[in-house]
Amino acid sequence: MSTASIAQALNEQRGGFDFELAKRNAALEGAGMKVPRATKTGTTIVGMVYKDGVVLGADTRSTQGPTVADKNCQKIHYIADNIWCCGAGTAADTEFTTALISSKVELHRMATGKQPRLVTALTMLKRLLFRYQGHVGAALILGGVDCNGPALYQVYPHGSTDYLPYVTMGSGSVNAMAIFESEYKDGLTQEEAMKLVHKAVLSGIFNDLGSGSNVDLCVITREGHTLHRGYDQPNPRRFRYPGGFTYTNGTTPTLSSSFTPSRTPAAVVGGAGMEVDA
Amino acid sequence: MSISQYNGSAMIAMTGKGCVGIAADRRLGIRNMTKACDFKKVFQVNDKILVGFSGLATDLQTLEQRLRMRCNMYKLREEREISIEAFGNLVASMQYEKRFGYYFVEPVIAGLKADNSPYLMSSDIIGAQCFKDDFVVAGDTAETLFGMCESVYRPDLGPEELFEVLSQCLLSGVDRDCLAGWGATVYIMTPEGVRETHLKGRMD
Amino acid sequence: MFGMANDFTHREIMDPMSVMHTARQLGSASICDVDLSQPVSLGTSIMAVEFDGGVVCGADSRTSTGSYIANRVSDKITALDEQIYTMRSGSAADTQAVSDYVRYYLDMHRNQTQKPTAVKTAAKLVSMLLYENKSMLMGEMIVAGWDAHNGGQVYKCAMGGSLIRRPYSTGGSGSIFIAAHCEHTFRPGMTRQQAIDFVDNALRLAMASDGSSGGSVRKVVIDASGVERTYTGGVF
Repeated sequence: MSTASIAQALNEQRGGFDFELAKRNAALEGAGMKVPRATKTGTTIVGMVYKDGVVLGADTRSTQGPTVADKNCQKIHYIADNIWCCGAGTAADTEFTTALISSKVELHRMATGKQPRLVTALTMLKRLLFRYQGHVGAALILGGVDCNGPALYQVYPHGSTDYLPYVTMGSGSVNAMAIFESEYKDGLTQEEAMKLVHKAVLSGIFNDLGSGSNVDLCVITREGHTLHRGYDQPNPRRFRYPGGFTYTNGTTPTLSSSFTPSRTPAAVVGGAGMEVDA
Repeated sequence: MSISQYNGSAMIAMTGKGCVGIAADRRLGIRNMTKACDFKKVFQVNDKILVGFSGLATDLQTLEQRLRMRCNMYKLREEREISIEAFGNLVASMQYEKRFGYYFVEPVIAGLKADNSPYLMSSDIIGAQCFKDDFVVAGDTAETLFGMCESVYRPDLGPEELFEVLSQCLLSGVDRDCLAGWGATVYIMTPEGVRETHLKGRMD
Repeated sequence: MFGMANDFTHREIMDPMSVMHTARQLGSASICDVDLSQPVSLGTSIMAVEFDGGVVCGADSRTSTGSYIANRVSDKITALDEQIYTMRSGSAADTQAVSDYVRYYLDMHRNQTQKPTAVKTAAKLVSMLLYENKSMLMGEMIVAGWDAHNGGQVYKCAMGGSLIRRPYSTGGSGSIFIAAHCEHTFRPGMTRQQAIDFVDNALRLAMASDGSSGGSVRKVVIDASGVERTYTGGVF
């Protein structure tokens, strides 16, 4: 076997899930070992259609059990320039499902030469999630604008979908829905819509334990999208010791120390390209 | 007992000004029995990448070996070193590939980007990435380490200060962890190179 | 199972069902999260009735996850073809998937035959999918529509794959509350308006008694002239 073919064999990109360790892990669990918890988004994510677009909103807390794993994570994911997706549930699942669908939608866009439609992304998402029968724990809000105008869908982990003018998901969904149910109106302006979505996310941040930190918004119109990362930061760190703590050098006793210098990268001399034998 | 507490570990990674660092304990245990005090948990991938693994030792070593293979293959194919951004995604993808039968490992990645600005990432056991610009922690007393870092961390620390902060955070953290400690190592990465320092800590 | 192209080709599956058990533990344990692993279900009242020259389909508009109403304006009357509709009850994901497949099959069928599809064909496809995947699917569907051969028809596709034609059929959790009412008030050969009123009354009664049915009554009337969609009651 030549080096190249070994390399090829080793690097074979087969894709898909690998169940290699599944049986071992099941055995460990059967032996009474506790299984560690994956990061959950423990989320308030919302979306709303207004006069000429869609506003998506999300909090920025991710949790690992009772611990806040990330105080400022992004839960509004890119699918295409005209389609964005909020994710709740198991963090890795929302992250990787949206990334996978995003790349499939991009390939589809290049193959068709047309702006991707929401239903395309929606169908890809629901088929994937249905195939995994809820084991891929991604609860999503898919929003955007396509040739049929603005639209908003919610996608459950088992693969069912709903088409609605305003939706909420995640642990703070009930809090956010209370705001929408009392204040939503058809045909709001962009400013009014952003205000309402902002209020709905804040309701989740302050009333739901799983949601917290900041408000992210994403506005999608026919003209394009604007991602407002950290649109509102109602929970800044307070009472920090001014100047911070300082340890004088040499505070920590050490046993030994070694230094590995960086290898100087081979400098590219001149602008000439690689020489290739004819 | 949780599977990730079987061998015990504690790990912190922090950013500084033009430098990053990872501090990790050195204990390898089997439940409450300490087996070794010189267990390697942090690895240097290249001039710009440090990666630490906390969790089950067997998975830690397997994942490290597979990652090293992938990085070597990348280098052969691309004729360049893997960038830290690509490496972070590679780790997460390799973890998520095993979504339904995962490694009991929480990786921590620290390094320098092409422009030598710091990069910091941690990931849960199935590859949910978490990018930070201050510090990340992993191990069986992550909460304790979080508490230390939250109060002591300051942005824009120089390599020497970063070393002290990392060391103090880790040593204080493992003082309250019976499954971690027994020596510690701090790696500080600057564009010039990596300094590896063994700390004098409690051995109980 | 459905002969779909797999993006995630399983490399090695060692009894996937037991494997997934571990995965479920991982995904569901959290102190402060709405249990997303609970399936979305259509705790439902659905019905369809034949009248002289067509059918009336009716459904409530409530979709719930546990005790939370996930959607109060949902549309459980799904089009399979121009003049064939299905009413879904049970798991939302399962019944949406089945309808998607049947709609796709019927599109192909109509393209190949260049003729309007018979209602019975659609019903048979639904029941076939329910039969062949009975261990996986949790859903009961009523297929109703109009075709030139047999006029308005109602078919019940129960869980497990049975298929029966009925002059009228009810389904979902709310249907048990109105079984006697329907039996009592149903008359064969009703007019269009009588059939609409029959469905309307029955579903209102079902929604009043069944906690997991509610919202408004959605109706679809199908006859030779086409399809008419209406809804009554509820807060939109």
